[in-house]
Amino acid sequence: MGGDLTVRLLLLFLATSWFATAGTYFVTVAGLGGTPEYEAQFAKWNTDLDGLLHGNGAGAVVQSLSGPAATRQNLRDLLERLSGQMHPDDTFALLMIGHGTFDGTDYKFNLPGPDVTAAELAKMLDRIPATEQLIVNMTSASGASLPVLARKNRIVITATKSGNEKNATVFARYWIDAMRDPAADTDKNGTISALEAFRYAEAKTAAYFQMEKLLATEHPLLSDTGKTVGVAHPEPANGQGALAAIFPVLRPPSETVQNVDPAKRTLLQRKQQLEAKIDRLKYQKAALPEEEYKRQLTGLLLDLARTQAEIDK
Amino acid sequence: MKRICAVASFLFFAAAPLYCAGASLEQCRELRHHGKLPQARSCFEELTRSADAFTRAEGYWGVADFTAANEQFRAAYRNQPKSAAVRVEWGKLLLERFNPQQAASLFQEALQLDKNNAAAYLALARVSAASFEKEAVDFAKMAIAYDPKSAEAHEFLAYLALEDSNPGTATDEAQKALALSNEDLDAMAVLASEDWLKGDAHSQWMDRILKINPVYGEAYATGAHFLEINYRYSEAIDFYRKAIALNGNLWDARSQLGMNLMRIGSDDEAKQELQQCYAAGYRNAETVNSLRLLDTLGNYQDVTSSNATLMLPKQEAALLQLYMQPELKRALAAYQKKYRMTLPGPVRLEVYPNHDDFVVRTLGLPGQGGLVGVTFGLTVAMDSPTARPPGDMNWASTAWHELSHVYVITATHSLVPRWFTEGLAVHEEGAASPRWGERMTPSIVTALKEKKLLPVASLDRGFVRPEYPDQVLVSYFEAGKICDFIVQKYGDNAILGIIQSYADRKNTAEAIQENLHETTGAFDKEFLAWLDASTGNTVRNFDAWRHGLATAHAALDNGKLDAAILAAKQVNGFYPEYTGKGSAYELLAQAYEKKGDKRAAISELEKYRDGGGTGLDSLKHLAVLEQGAAQNAQAETTLRALNDIYPEDQEIHQQLGKLLLAQGDATGAIREGEAVLALHPADVAASHYQLAKALNAAHRASEAKDQILLSLEAAPDYKPAQQLLLQLSQ
Repeated sequence: MGGDLTVRLLLLFLATSWFATAGTYFVTVAGLGGTPEYEAQFAKWNTDLDGLLHGNGAGAVVQSLSGPAATRQNLRDLLERLSGQMHPDDTFALLMIGHGTFDGTDYKFNLPGPDVTAAELAKMLDRIPATEQLIVNMTSASGASLPVLARKNRIVITATKSGNEKNATVFARYWIDAMRDPAADTDKNGTISALEAFRYAEAKTAAYFQMEKLLATEHPLLSDTGKTVGVAHPEPANGQGALAAIFPVLRPPSETVQNVDPAKRTLLQRKQQLEAKIDRLKYQKAALPEEEYKRQLTGLLLDLARTQAEIDK
Repeated sequence: MKRICAVASFLFFAAAPLYCAGASLEQCRELRHHGKLPQARSCFEELTRSADAFTRAEGYWGVADFTAANEQFRAAYRNQPKSAAVRVEWGKLLLERFNPQQAASLFQEALQLDKNNAAAYLALARVSAASFEKEAVDFAKMAIAYDPKSAEAHEFLAYLALEDSNPGTATDEAQKALALSNEDLDAMAVLASEDWLKGDAHSQWMDRILKINPVYGEAYATGAHFLEINYRYSEAIDFYRKAIALNGNLWDARSQLGMNLMRIGSDDEAKQELQQCYAAGYRNAETVNSLRLLDTLGNYQDVTSSNATLMLPKQEAALLQLYMQPELKRALAAYQKKYRMTLPGPVRLEVYPNHDDFVVRTLGLPGQGGLVGVTFGLTVAMDSPTARPPGDMNWASTAWHELSHVYVITATHSLVPRWFTEGLAVHEEGAASPRWGERMTPSIVTALKEKKLLPVASLDRGFVRPEYPDQVLVSYFEAGKICDFIVQKYGDNAILGIIQSYADRKNTAEAIQENLHETTGAFDKEFLAWLDASTGNTVRNFDAWRHGLATAHAALDNGKLDAAILAAKQVNGFYPEYTGKGSAYELLAQAYEKKGDKRAAISELEKYRDGGGTGLDSLKHLAVLEQGAAQNAQAETTLRALNDIYPEDQEIHQQLGKLLLAQGDATGAIREGEAVLALHPADVAASHYQLAKALNAAHRASEAKDQILLSLEAAPDYKPAQQLLLQLSQ
């Protein structure tokens, strides 16, 4: 219990300090549509995604490939160029929209000209210096890429659970919606994490098929521990989701602790301490009588609310 | 004798086996016909030792060894490739043992071998009759055409006529059957059923049946069938019990007993009967599916009030009871006042999230296609909104429709004809809300154009055995309009009078004469003229409407907005009632919005909404537009309309909750907040916060605080919730 709590507190520290100083790099790629309708759809999604990611402010580098320019070589060149700028403490995210295929052996992301296989992608990504990586493969058959791309410190999200789910996906639509909908920010910290975006998009995808009374042809998965098997519902019980929970996909540029006066810094530190206490209390919930838990939680939340009110003055 | 028969059967194909084995098979059948069941069994057992496969098959069938019978028929089929008789008999076995498709194939094969085979036509009639298809009558008539002396065919026509509420024809055909065979038990059963339907406890026909065959429970089972298709489930149960009392091996009767016990809510006893059938190898779809459904009842919970019980799926109960309970209360209060009666017991409304489970409740009853609700006395079964694609049904209007049946069927002691109770139920939907009721769909317009409406005196036929694919739908529409017409011209009291007439065992002609003071012929004429006044323009300009709407859609697809608007407006007046897919209203709204004219777009979508449009996306978009234009009252109307269609959408409740709170309706806002939480939202913090605000507005501070704690527990940094906590803690 103690060890786990230490990890959680460490991650909380990392969440507030690490990402405040490091650079964030996003690459979006819209692959080959095949038909005018899909071409248009993928291009629009890519444009929307690119626009939303720019909401991360000047501190984020956002690059996009679509249409005839989205070739394997161009992708390779782009990743190499960005790698030259990155440091190990930077974060990197690759978001893929389009069609994927799986022939039983290899997953391929369909691009103009030669396709890129999961193995080729993995090699490109392994050369990227950024330690923390997020790969969001929103293509059909993307589940087949997960085992190949999975690696320690890399969050891999796929729209499908295997290479056999070959229909065009709707997951991309909902991933983009997650970045627009305040409801996706379930912990209300002003940042959409990879986990929050995944949970939002996964739930919306499932709801889509349920509402339309269709057999679901895609089942999104997430793996962020290097395991080659992803999960649909990351949680402490299955050990997945901790890294995704602190990887910001969309964060307003003002969310830093830099450049504040000492008084406010004290308040911010007080705030972090209270958040940690609340986190610890929630962890102990099952072991406490209900009324005692409620009393302690109320006290801490009130304290936090007053502290935030002071910060906001 | 048997060896000679075996040789003869080898030499003479079609007729020979039955001719030679016929003497022996006929003997067995005679014994059974006269109720000498043990002797009949011994006789059939002897047949199983015949050298002829066909005879053996009949023998095994007679002793209820269906597997062996099937094998012997298969052997006979191989041995006698040109025998129509083998195919017909084998098909009958398969039909009896729940395989109508294969049975029908065999009957068709028989006809290919012998196109004049009356027995094959009659067998096909039985296949069609099981689904209440109109072909049943056609096939039975062909059987008679090829064998005018077939008592069985006449008797079956009698049966079908009585199903079609045509007792005159039923009597005629039954008498023809008896003239050909004065011991035709099933013909007598139809005649006895007519007596029982009239309310006679005793029928001389049953006396005659029992004199011929003292254990012919099948006659009671026949009576039970007619009672159950006329809503008289309790009586049907009594008759099925009588059937089984005479012959405990009438497994079909026992299965039907189980199904009817389910219909009146006696689930435990139903299960016992159905399990007996299953154990005895009687495993037709109704028995198996009913048992499966009974096994799932643990997934439901009852929500009870003083005069009603809601049976809701556990996973949806928290949400659905918020809306269904008040709607149920409202409907019952309205009907109690309108029909001036109190029901003899509480109403039970069962809601099924799985359409297949709902269908199990309707198995074996006529007019199945497209049903979303059904009534059995005081019990109503209906689909949950989640059982259908969103926009497919309106649960609120369905509930009002079915609850109307509860009152009318009870008031008439189950003697109301189908057309009237359905018509009144449709009328009541429209009375409860102008957005509800049976809309005039294109298929109905076509039926009107082709003058396919039935005379009121025979309108029941349109519900039981449709003569064309949409006739059931058209009949609902016609019946609803008839009731609308009666109310408009004669008032609600005329409806109450007609109800009383049916309760007094009057038929439709008598009920109309008594209450409207005219013959059915005159009524039909008057009604059609009235209907034409409101539908004639649509009917006459239907083709122009279709063409114009297609033109409008093509223009919109090509970005020609003005042309699209012009074309749609030109034709919408021809068919303003159309709110189906691709309606002019939605097209106009799209076009106007693209031109930047949101006010016009709102106007068109509001017409769509008020005309009964159920497209979820269109209505949700309308709600957004209305809120954007600060038309909050209209937005509330739209969101409430959406709730009637698909309450499982969180966004609807979120928006409606905010609107109601802003308007000071804290109670409504609380309901909507609870609905959001019942849907397990991803945004837990915001959902609890919204509910906390509503509770606070209702001065329920302690509950508000509980909700705020839940909100902040999920998201401790959620500022709006923090501020409310501080406020509540002052």
